[in-house]
Amino acid sequence: MSRRVVITGLGAFTSIGTTVEEFWRGCLNGSTAVADIPSKWNDFYHYNSRVWSPLPPPANNGNIVNDIERTKLDMAAVLAMETSAEALQNAGVPPSLVDVKRNAYTLANVDPTRTGIFVGTGVGGMNSLLSNASYHMLAQQQPRLQQLAKLLASPEQHEQARQIVERIASDILIPFRANPFVVSMIMPNAVSSNIAIKFGIHGPALTCCSACSSGTVAIGNAFQALRSGNVDIAITGGVEYLSDDYGMIFRGFDVARTLAAHGKQPFSNDQLNRPFDRDRSGFLFSQGGCGIMVLEELEHARKRNANIICEIAAYSETCDGYNIMMMQPNGEQITRMLAQLLQSAGCEGHDVDYVNAHGTGTLLNDTTEAEIIERVFGKKALVNSTKSLLGHTIGASGALGAIVSALAIRHNTTHVCKNLENPVRDLNFVRSVGSHSIRTAVTQSFAFGGHNAALLLKAAA
Amino acid sequence: MSESSTGNPEVYQQVVAVIAKVLGTAQDAIKPESNFVNDLGADSLDRVTLVMALEDTFKQQIPEEDLEQLTTVNSTVAYIEKHFLAKSQP
Repeated sequence: MSRRVVITGLGAFTSIGTTVEEFWRGCLNGSTAVADIPSKWNDFYHYNSRVWSPLPPPANNGNIVNDIERTKLDMAAVLAMETSAEALQNAGVPPSLVDVKRNAYTLANVDPTRTGIFVGTGVGGMNSLLSNASYHMLAQQQPRLQQLAKLLASPEQHEQARQIVERIASDILIPFRANPFVVSMIMPNAVSSNIAIKFGIHGPALTCCSACSSGTVAIGNAFQALRSGNVDIAITGGVEYLSDDYGMIFRGFDVARTLAAHGKQPFSNDQLNRPFDRDRSGFLFSQGGCGIMVLEELEHARKRNANIICEIAAYSETCDGYNIMMMQPNGEQITRMLAQLLQSAGCEGHDVDYVNAHGTGTLLNDTTEAEIIERVFGKKALVNSTKSLLGHTIGASGALGAIVSALAIRHNTTHVCKNLENPVRDLNFVRSVGSHSIRTAVTQSFAFGGHNAALLLKAAA
Repeated sequence: MSESSTGNPEVYQQVVAVIAKVLGTAQDAIKPESNFVNDLGADSLDRVTLVMALEDTFKQQIPEEDLEQLTTVNSTVAYIEKHFLAKSQP
């Protein structure tokens, strides 16, 4: 008989809650965190979008990652380790300190050679790359420009030149130092390897890098490794941390006209992010977040009397092979992926009670996705988008969607599809938080690059 | 409590606290003459980490070429007194 895979622990760090409990409460309350973009970014470009969803500062409560370690790590790795600690604690596998000097932990009653790590990320430690590149390129230039401005101070024509030089010098933002650990900070695989180092895990430690579907792909890979018998327990999910002094990443998405922006309708900042609404204009740029779950082979979980949240019954992925930034308009490969998913789980589209949609709020994606949902699942399934609350957390988004799906099954309820007033299609969008019978849920992610991935979750039998 | 042989006891205490944190060593095991590598078991990465932690504590940068001057607790305290404290005085 094939091995079954269950979820036994959850952890989350998001703009609306810094623990999984706070996150879920925020979801059910329809919370969102929208703010004006940092004012400094406006010195460099005139953006179409003016809002983003910043993260609260990480609390550093448990000392899982101490101050000294933080100087050598990208924030993506810090979030991955701290959120993993929460998920492990939640799974009844609390980390305990074994090496004070290394601040390294071990997991009780778990074979570290039969434990794997599968974490998705869009850009890994790119923030550290940007920061150190700025230091490397600019640290010598600012004082030179300041010196030049002084030299130009005398004759008439020079005054204008002096002002320009001064403006350039003041626009240059130089980080405090060039970090000697830059190489190990920027590599995307650092998010997984740091979890292995922190918790003393010796099974496979993979990093999945498929843009916005990274989190879903990572959980799918963990599911497959558990099913095939490669591992008995896995720490899996997704993480993203997007922050740069100049707003360059934001500009990249803005130039592609993918971000939520003010237009004809007089929407407030909080109303701009509106997946599946006819007046949507793009996605809300999020600073990132992290979602981690502990997956286990069913018998392994039963043996240690684990609290089983729900089962993952199937995973499927396809690639559009069509365009690097645009979804295939007919959704052929997404439809094929969902057919495979349902077949693998042994169920039909109408058996699915709830679809946690990709739902970015971009013009093209939502129309195509809504059509596919109706074609595959019909009009009965509940539909929402967790991005309507959080904005787009890129590599973390699939994992946070999977966590919401698991909690929806566990609690027979889910959050509203926020700001949805005039839907693009007549689907059963969640309009109020009520009691819903949710036994089976699908969570799906699509990505730049055409990577489609979906998980099917079921109530634990 | 250990006595600094090089003046400013406040700087000495701050330096000892940073070393203890970075190397995971008890503060009372750290003596003024302790050598980071020979006595406290630091490796090359620990020394780089120590420099960053000192930079963060004293909010000033230590050029990479000065790393060789920071070999013992005393030499580190002397370096900080000479380069950081002298600078901040009017």
